[in-house]
Amino acid sequence: MTGNISSPTIMTPREIKLHLLGLVLFVGLLGLWYWLSTGARAVPTLIEMLQDDDPSTRIVAAEQLGQVGPAAQAAIPRLLAQATEDGNQHANTTAAAALKSIDLTAARQVMTHFMPRLQEQDAQQRRTACAVLGSLGPVAKPAVPALLAAGHDPDELVRRNALMALASIGIPSPPIVAALLEGLRDSSSLVRQTAVTQFAFTVPLTQPVVTAVTPLLNDPNRSIATLARSALDKARPDEATQLESLGLMVQHSAARDYALHQLAQLGPAAGDALLPVLPLLQDDRPLIRYLAAEAIGAMGVSAKQAVQPLRLRREDPDPVVREAVVEAIAGIEAAMAPAESSGKAARP
Amino acid sequence: MIATTPETSLRLRVLTRLGFWGAVIGGLLLPWGIMLAVEVVVHQVPFARAWRSFTLHLFAPGYNFFLIGLLTAAPFVVLSVLILLHLGAAPVQDPLIARRRTLGLAGAGLGMLVLAGWTHLEVLLHPDAQGALAYLYLPVILLASMPIGYGLGRAIARILLPRPPA
Repeated sequence: MTGNISSPTIMTPREIKLHLLGLVLFVGLLGLWYWLSTGARAVPTLIEMLQDDDPSTRIVAAEQLGQVGPAAQAAIPRLLAQATEDGNQHANTTAAAALKSIDLTAARQVMTHFMPRLQEQDAQQRRTACAVLGSLGPVAKPAVPALLAAGHDPDELVRRNALMALASIGIPSPPIVAALLEGLRDSSSLVRQTAVTQFAFTVPLTQPVVTAVTPLLNDPNRSIATLARSALDKARPDEATQLESLGLMVQHSAARDYALHQLAQLGPAAGDALLPVLPLLQDDRPLIRYLAAEAIGAMGVSAKQAVQPLRLRREDPDPVVREAVVEAIAGIEAAMAPAESSGKAARP
Repeated sequence: MIATTPETSLRLRVLTRLGFWGAVIGGLLLPWGIMLAVEVVVHQVPFARAWRSFTLHLFAPGYNFFLIGLLTAAPFVVLSVLILLHLGAAPVQDPLIARRRTLGLAGAGLGMLVLAGWTHLEVLLHPDAQGALAYLYLPVILLASMPIGYGLGRAIARILLPRPPA
C-alpha cells in the first residue's frame, strides 16, 4: 500500500489503468451474465422453470420462451402441456402465446384443444377457452366462427372474453368488427366497455365503427365515454400517415408482428403498404411469414403483383404458412376476377 | 502549501478506490435494492418471496430488471471514471486540491444518488402506464445533474476548506 509514496499523484498511472481494466472486465462479466440468461442459451433453464410448483414461475418462463421464438423448439411439449392442462388460466394463456411465436402448428394444436370447450356446460371452462384462443392471436383465425357464436353466450364474462379474443385475432376483419359493433349494444356494461376498448386500442377504425362509437361519447358510464373518445381520436385507416407509419414499422423487427397484424385488418385499404410487406414472406420466423401472407391476402386486387411471389412460397416449410399462402392466392385471384370481367364488359 | 503525510496520501488512495468501485456497484445495486425494499417494506411481501420474484423478473420481457439496473448504473460508471481520473490524478503534495475535488465528486455522487433513488421510488410507489419511460430518461438526467452536483460540492469546499494564507 505504500508502493506509490514517491508518486506525484494520489494514484499512479499504472493503478489507474488497472482500475479501468477492472471496470472493463466487470462490464464484460455483466454482459456475459446477460448473454447466458437470454436467447436460446436460457432455454434449458426455462424448460425446468415450466415444471415449477409456483404458477408465477411457469408464467414468466413461458413469456421468456415466447421471446426466444423458434429457437425454443425444445420447449414445445412442456408449453403444450401448460397451455392445455395447467389449472391456472394465466399460465394457459402465456404458454399459448409463447407457442404462437415458436411453432404455428403447436399453436394450432392448442386452438383445436380449446375450440370444443366453448360448448362446455361449465361457464369457467368457456371463459378460459375464449381467453386461450385470444392469446393465440391471428394464428387462431379458424376459431373465429366459434368465437362469434360465443359472443352470444348467456354468461357476460364469456361474452366479454369472446370479444377480447376476437379483437386479438383480428382477421378476417369484417365479421369481427360486426361482432364488436354488436357488443357496443350489449345489455352488460362490462361487455360494452370491452367492445369500445378494442376500438380504442386494438382494432383499426372504419366509417361504420365511427358512426357506431360516436353516440357512446354521451354514455352515462364515464369510462365507456372516455374510451369512446380515445377510439375516435385514433388515426383512421384512410389517413396516409397511418399506412406510412405501419409500412415503416414493418421494417423494424420489434414492431413487425403488430404492424403486419394491423395491415391484415385494414384489408384493401392497406394496399399501398404491399412493397415493404412482400420481402417478409421469406422471414426466418413462421409467425411473420404467416402474418405477411394474411396481410397480402387481405389487400385483394391491390396485391395482384404479389401472386407470383406467393406462388413461390407454396412450399413453405411451415404447414400453417402454406395454408395462409394458398388462401391469400385464392383471395387475390377471386378479387381480381370481377375486376377483370367488368373491364372486359366495359370494352366495346 | 501543507505537505502531505504518508497517512493522508494512503487515506486519499483508499478513498479513490472506494469511490470508484462504490459508484459502479452502488449504481447497479441501487434500483434492485429499492425494488426489493419496496416489495418487503411497502407491499409486506416476505423477503424470500420478494427475492424469488425479483430473480424471476431479472430478464423477463416486460420487466427486465437487469436492464433497468444497467441503465441506472451507466451514469454512475461515468462518475466512477471521473473519480479515478480526477481524484486519482490529484497531486499528492497539495492535499487541499484532493480534498476539494473529493467534496466536488461527493456532491455529484450524492445528487445522483438522491435523484436516482427518488425516481425509482416514485415509479414503484405510483405506477402508471408511462412510468417505465422514467427509466429511459433517468441516465440522461443523472448525467446532466453530475456537473451541477460537482459545482455545488466545490462551492461548499471553498467555504469549508479555504486556502491558508501563504
